[in-house]
Amino acid sequence: MAKREQYEYPSELREEFEATDDIHFRDGSRATAADIWHFMTEVAPKKYPFAYTQKKYAGGRLSRDIHLPSAIKHNYLLLTMNDRINKSRENGAPVIFVQGGQSVDPYYAAGGIALRPASVGIWARGRHEGLGLNEEVVRSHKQKEKANHAISFEVCQSAGYEHIQEGDLPVDMVAPYTCLRCSDISYGVEAHRHGPNKAVKLMNIDYPMRHQADKPWAVTYFAQNLRRLTSEIAKRAGREVTDEDLSKEIKLHNEGRRLAIDTAELWWSADVPPTNSVDRRALYQMGGMEVHGDPSASLTVLRESNAYIRDRVKRGIKADGVIDKPIRLFVCGSCVSPNAFRIEEAGAIIVGQDNHWSDISTLVKEEGDPYQNLAHAILSYPYEQSVEGRAAWTVEQLKKSRADGVLFLYKWGCNTQSAIARMLCDTVKREIAIPTMIIEDHEGGSEQSEQMLNRVNAFIEMLG
Amino acid sequence: MSLKRNFFAGVDVGSLAAKSVILEDGEIFATGLVPSGVDSVESGLKALNLALETGGLKQEDLTYIVGTGYGRVSAPYANKAVTEITCHAKGANYLHPSVRTIIDMGGQDCKAIRIDQDGAVVDFAMNDKCAAGTGRFLEVMAGVFKVQLEELGALSLSATELVPMSSTCTVFAESETISLVARGEKPENILNGIHHAIANRISGLFARVGITSDVFFSGGVAKNSGMKHAIEQALKVSIVKPEIDPQLIGALGAAVLARSFSKKEGLWS
Repeated sequence: MAKREQYEYPSELREEFEATDDIHFRDGSRATAADIWHFMTEVAPKKYPFAYTQKKYAGGRLSRDIHLPSAIKHNYLLLTMNDRINKSRENGAPVIFVQGGQSVDPYYAAGGIALRPASVGIWARGRHEGLGLNEEVVRSHKQKEKANHAISFEVCQSAGYEHIQEGDLPVDMVAPYTCLRCSDISYGVEAHRHGPNKAVKLMNIDYPMRHQADKPWAVTYFAQNLRRLTSEIAKRAGREVTDEDLSKEIKLHNEGRRLAIDTAELWWSADVPPTNSVDRRALYQMGGMEVHGDPSASLTVLRESNAYIRDRVKRGIKADGVIDKPIRLFVCGSCVSPNAFRIEEAGAIIVGQDNHWSDISTLVKEEGDPYQNLAHAILSYPYEQSVEGRAAWTVEQLKKSRADGVLFLYKWGCNTQSAIARMLCDTVKREIAIPTMIIEDHEGGSEQSEQMLNRVNAFIEMLG
Repeated sequence: MSLKRNFFAGVDVGSLAAKSVILEDGEIFATGLVPSGVDSVESGLKALNLALETGGLKQEDLTYIVGTGYGRVSAPYANKAVTEITCHAKGANYLHPSVRTIIDMGGQDCKAIRIDQDGAVVDFAMNDKCAAGTGRFLEVMAGVFKVQLEELGALSLSATELVPMSSTCTVFAESETISLVARGEKPENILNGIHHAIANRISGLFARVGITSDVFFSGGVAKNSGMKHAIEQALKVSIVKPEIDPQLIGALGAAVLARSFSKKEGLWS
């Protein structure tokens, strides 16, 4: 990628940025704002040119809201994922492949690192240096096609399993909460079970579906699964795990969840959008404590960002590049994010997403048996309830976020979300008369086709 | 003192054709329709220039231009870009204010659009990445029978029976059609089956959007009388007759919007 095609952070921003907080990592190390600035302006543009694309259609561009420190720090943490995960593994932390929409408290309590499929993809991406955007997309597609063959049909979050089977990503365990909302994870688990690479242990954390949080046997059953999980991870990490370890971890993760909830409520209360869609998504995702492969780092950025958002909302400051009164879209469904840049160009903004918000907005009780408390919280995830239950929760989020319309997106081949989409949208229309649109995404890569963008743009025009 | 004449243009660059409509104040003044080429900027300009030539105008005579269709993202000559869903709604409303439902079948997609009395979109649905029911699909079928695209409708209406088609996928329907021809089925009966299979598929789009009279049929495929007949049967509706080429409705709507946007922007009063 030619230099002129790359985005460059304005050098006049340096002094302002270097006065912001350090990032504190779980192993006690830290990155100063000066370290981060150097990496993002000198190292990463050469190491990961794809991230600096200026292509108009690329959905994964860097946020241009440069005065919000988290916009740069979040991307720093994503682009250093490979280096950091490798370092943690060398220091004895096993890496566990989990699934989307689940919390990660027990994995970290036992000394492991939990990575969802998207994060495994980011880790894998970081192992290939010097790739431009198109080269990176070709690399990623190739891996996914191999995975589709291995799993025997097209699923969405498949590439992680292929990396594990091929052994090119040193994942130590596959241990997702299975039977959660994603049918593809179950197919992937089966493909892994039958794959030639038996070296990576498979452990299913069995999730009893549908209205189970109020059944004591189900909570106890899932708590037992969590105990098996922490025990196995701790064994691999060469340490013991106590109830106190999990209690401490839950407190830490609850702080992230509370900060994400507070940040979202501040955002929703604002007269003008305090961030763009991309930064809003990154901020709430940090509350899940998984997105950077280091909960302490996520928490540092989230604490600092929360203060920035509070200040912006108080002073009525609008994010750079966002219009005053955009159409407010709420995105439902898993594993597809619309191109937020194009949405904003069309006069709208994304005010919320149900995916992940479900687990992030579910706090865990801190007094009493931590395994029972965690199990109860996990079995209460609104996204994983019956469609009626999930729809009722979604309606609440739509009211809080003052959404004008709902975009329900899911991947081709996603059996779960495709079955839920229509019923959920019908409920939303019936309950609060908000227009909805369902789009099945057949595409991969960083750019969305005109087919997809056309539908989204027409929906925005309809709402306008 | 002579009053300044105001001209507004809509340019709709689709996958198969580029269309342009120029309004003088509220009336259709000139139109242009050319096949789309590889270069969508050039295609749009060709259509626009054809309309300008027909009307004896120059581009600088235009007060405002709205681009639409898939080529709207590459329309440097346009003041604004709007999706063709919104434009078809405005175009149909301009011709028939009583229209509440639009079936738009273009070169590469088809749409079910419900509108209100002002021509604003209330709801819409589109085919999902499948060419069934599009102009491209019918082009392929015309190729199988070695007839012109324009002949498909009349041929289909001359059918004595309906040969059922099991596939609406363009590629599979082509091979199924070849098999049916090889079995000795008559082309007009196969085409009748094809039109009805497509009409049934399109009617699925209306299951969610709903149908309210009057119903309008726009897009290039609307010129196909066999498809119009099959849709009327499948949806149990009567389609209103368009006063102009139905392929121009998107461009017409874009021109209507050009008039409205330019007024809001104070370019004329």
